[in-house]
Amino acid sequence: MPALSGELVVFTIASILAIGFALAMVLQKTPVRSVLSLVVTFFGLAIFSIQLAAPFIAVLQVFVYAGAILVLFLFVIMLLNLSQEATEEDARPIQRRLGFVAALALGGVLSGAALRAPMPKGVAPAITPLADEIPMIGRLLFSDYLLAFEALSFLLLVAAVGALLLSKRRFE
Amino acid sequence: MTGALPGVAPMAVPPGAYLVVGTLLFAIGLAGTLLKRNALSIFLSIELMMNAVNLLFLTYARMRGDMAGQMIVFFVIAIAAAEASVGLAIFVALFRVRRTVDVDEIALLKW
Amino acid sequence: MNQFWLIPVLPLAGFVVNGLVALLAASGRAEAERGQDQPKARLPYGQRLFHGVVGVGSVGLAAVLSFAALVPYVLESLKSPEGLAPVVQHVYTWMAAGDYTVEVAFRLDALSALMLSFVTFVGTLIHVYSVGYMQDEEGYGRYFAYLNLFMFAMLTLVLADNLPLLFVGWEGVGLCSYLLIGYYYDKDFAVAAGKKAFIANRVGDLGMVLGIFGIFALFGTADFSFVELAKRAALAPGAHISVYAVCLLLFLGACGKSAQVPLYVWLPDAMAGPTPVSALIHAATMVTAGVYLVARCSAVFVLAPDALTLVAWIGAGTAIFAASIGLAQNDIKKVLAYSTVSQLGYMFLACGVGAFSAGMFHVFTHAFFKACLFLGSGSVIMSMHHEQDMTKMGGLSSRIPQTFRTMLAATLAIAGIFPLAGFFSKDAILGATAASGHWALYAVGLFTAGLTAFYMFRLVSMTFFGKARGDAHAHEHAHESPATMTVPLWILAAFSIVAGFLGVPAALGGTDRIGRFLEASVAHPEIGEMSHGVEIGLMLVSLGVAVTGLVWAWRWYGRAEGPPEAVSAQASAFYARTGALGKLVADKWNVDEGIEALVLSPFRKIGTFLWRGFDSLVIDGIANASAFLVELAGDLMRFFTTGHVRNYALAFSLGALVFILYVWVR
Repeated sequence: MPALSGELVVFTIASILAIGFALAMVLQKTPVRSVLSLVVTFFGLAIFSIQLAAPFIAVLQVFVYAGAILVLFLFVIMLLNLSQEATEEDARPIQRRLGFVAALALGGVLSGAALRAPMPKGVAPAITPLADEIPMIGRLLFSDYLLAFEALSFLLLVAAVGALLLSKRRFE
Repeated sequence: MTGALPGVAPMAVPPGAYLVVGTLLFAIGLAGTLLKRNALSIFLSIELMMNAVNLLFLTYARMRGDMAGQMIVFFVIAIAAAEASVGLAIFVALFRVRRTVDVDEIALLKW
Repeated sequence: MNQFWLIPVLPLAGFVVNGLVALLAASGRAEAERGQDQPKARLPYGQRLFHGVVGVGSVGLAAVLSFAALVPYVLESLKSPEGLAPVVQHVYTWMAAGDYTVEVAFRLDALSALMLSFVTFVGTLIHVYSVGYMQDEEGYGRYFAYLNLFMFAMLTLVLADNLPLLFVGWEGVGLCSYLLIGYYYDKDFAVAAGKKAFIANRVGDLGMVLGIFGIFALFGTADFSFVELAKRAALAPGAHISVYAVCLLLFLGACGKSAQVPLYVWLPDAMAGPTPVSALIHAATMVTAGVYLVARCSAVFVLAPDALTLVAWIGAGTAIFAASIGLAQNDIKKVLAYSTVSQLGYMFLACGVGAFSAGMFHVFTHAFFKACLFLGSGSVIMSMHHEQDMTKMGGLSSRIPQTFRTMLAATLAIAGIFPLAGFFSKDAILGATAASGHWALYAVGLFTAGLTAFYMFRLVSMTFFGKARGDAHAHEHAHESPATMTVPLWILAAFSIVAGFLGVPAALGGTDRIGRFLEASVAHPEIGEMSHGVEIGLMLVSLGVAVTGLVWAWRWYGRAEGPPEAVSAQASAFYARTGALGKLVADKWNVDEGIEALVLSPFRKIGTFLWRGFDSLVIDGIANASAFLVELAGDLMRFFTTGHVRNYALAFSLGALVFILYVWVR
């Protein structure tokens, strides 16, 4: 049993939040409620990120994911007026059962595998103060990951154009 | 490798815990993908799966003291944004034609 | 001069030029004549001139270069008693594998100089003759192109410095033989004859190729330096059985190319080709390639005496066998064809008893008189408007005097009358056979000499003497051939008379120049001594036999006065006198029928069985069955494409699960 510390408490609370609301998201019938549950899950994940010494990522998580992407989802839901949810029974119960089993099995196997995998020993002692994290990220982006970075910007451009084209009305 | 994590101290929470939470979230997302009928809900579940993976990456980055994990997460978030926009545009177009987003109704490519 | 590569390449260039021009002109003519049903007509004068000049010129130039190369060489080598070393010109490396290389290299030594001399000389004369003979043909350009290609292949064969390059020439002459025999491609029998020639050659080529491999296995090299190794008997250890096998294989190749029993069957049928082709390919040059091969590898043959004995027996057997068939043929070219087979038998007989230089001497003289005979027969055929049956000729001596005189000279030469060329070369062979103690072979050779004289003079008598038979109209219009045809005849006849003087034996006071000249290149095993008295006695015997044959033939065929029935009565009297044997001879001993029944028919049956039974049922069955299985699998797999995305996602997850488990468990 690890020593009780503030960190552990925060971790526990965040994990309960994350897992709980994830379950809620899956179990909800209405899409709007699912989206909102997911937002809370993302907040939990952001807390995890901070704990894992990635504050920049945490902020990105909240701004981009929760703030932009999920809002986009909400927009689309509103646009398509999808508040109602079809509730007829599945025509193929086998999908339900097998899917359940698969998810369960995969989850179990993956966590088992993850836990059994050899863990790296310890952590290297700090050599740079925390305040230098963002400059460090910036440096990395423009040196080791330059190609990926540029490609990413191109990808975003393409996605924007594609989204525009796809949602146009017919060219009459 | 790429660079040492700045300003870290030994982990108070055992890393295995993070891994378990991450895989659990992944499993939940997978269940949602397989079991929901609304196309948007399926998409949301997929987003959840991606974030679970992000968590795992961050955990490993912390464990190894390597920045590469965080960079990967950075890119994943950006790409998810792009993918979400395009995917939703497809849904919108699909909805205009079929008037539904129930995946069971949109089963045209059957034998 | 040293640039030997020019000698084969010049005719090759002639082939390319003539071939291209002929093709273009022919397609142009086809365009112009489309729709009209024109009979085949001769080409315009300008085109014929072009083809003739290129054809004759390329070979003539090659002949000039050949003599420029070999005359100094011969003169030099005659000065020293053991001759000169061979001159080799290396052109480029054809194949290289490890340390062993096969080069494209040309060699000039005594043997190849001899072959080169008459191949180019007689070849040029025949090209000149063809200018006149083939002038009515529409395929004039094609003819000269093929003929040039043949010269290229033959010269490559003669000048090659190693067996693989020789084999290239060997195959090339076989190809050209096929192309030229089947020159009249609209005639079925010509096409069939071409195929027969090629296939019979092929059977021999199998032996040739295996023989080349064998030589390489025995001596580690396939260029003619193995001759030196063989002379010193420097073999791989434990190789003595293999030497016999290799010799027999090489001899098989020689049999195919030089038409010995049983692979001779293509040569009579090859007479379907134009007469100059018969003269060049099937008398003077290609068919001698087998003898050339044996002479080249003589040092190896000497190491396997039993193989040599077999060669001698097959040679003698072929000689008498073919001569017997020639007795009863009525087609003038067929007689000459069988005569060629018979004379080739003599050459192999000589090699078989160890007198390789005597064999080569006979090759040399035979080229001249046989070419003269064939070209003369072509002249006869032309003047008789393409009539080839001798029973329809007769009394032509006054109408075509030049042809008559030259053919008479060549006939006396082949019969072996002193002092023409055939006498010296044939007696060299018979003398060596006797000296080696093979009296049975000598008897066969002597008897065949008599037969040769008989059937050759029968040919002359039926054609030129007596009363004219057959078509009176053709006889009236018979006239001498143009100068392009008669001049080569005279030249060849002249050589038929004097060429023998190169090999006058010591018994008659000569120095056997040709024998000593060839000593450097061919093996000279000890044959045995004969006193000069015995030798002269044997010469007189063979002379007597030959004269007897001539006289007998003249009595039977030459003085036939009276109506045509008398002659055919005489012919059937011939068969009546000899009964069943005569009938067999007249039917060429039914060899072709025998081959058909024993070899070809079974092959066809096997082929048909394999086609119907095996190919259709088994192989097609497998192919069809696999297609059916794929279809079946497809029908079953269809059910997985439900169209529902979630099913697909489920399949993904399950697959991933299995995979992870697999990796984990391992």
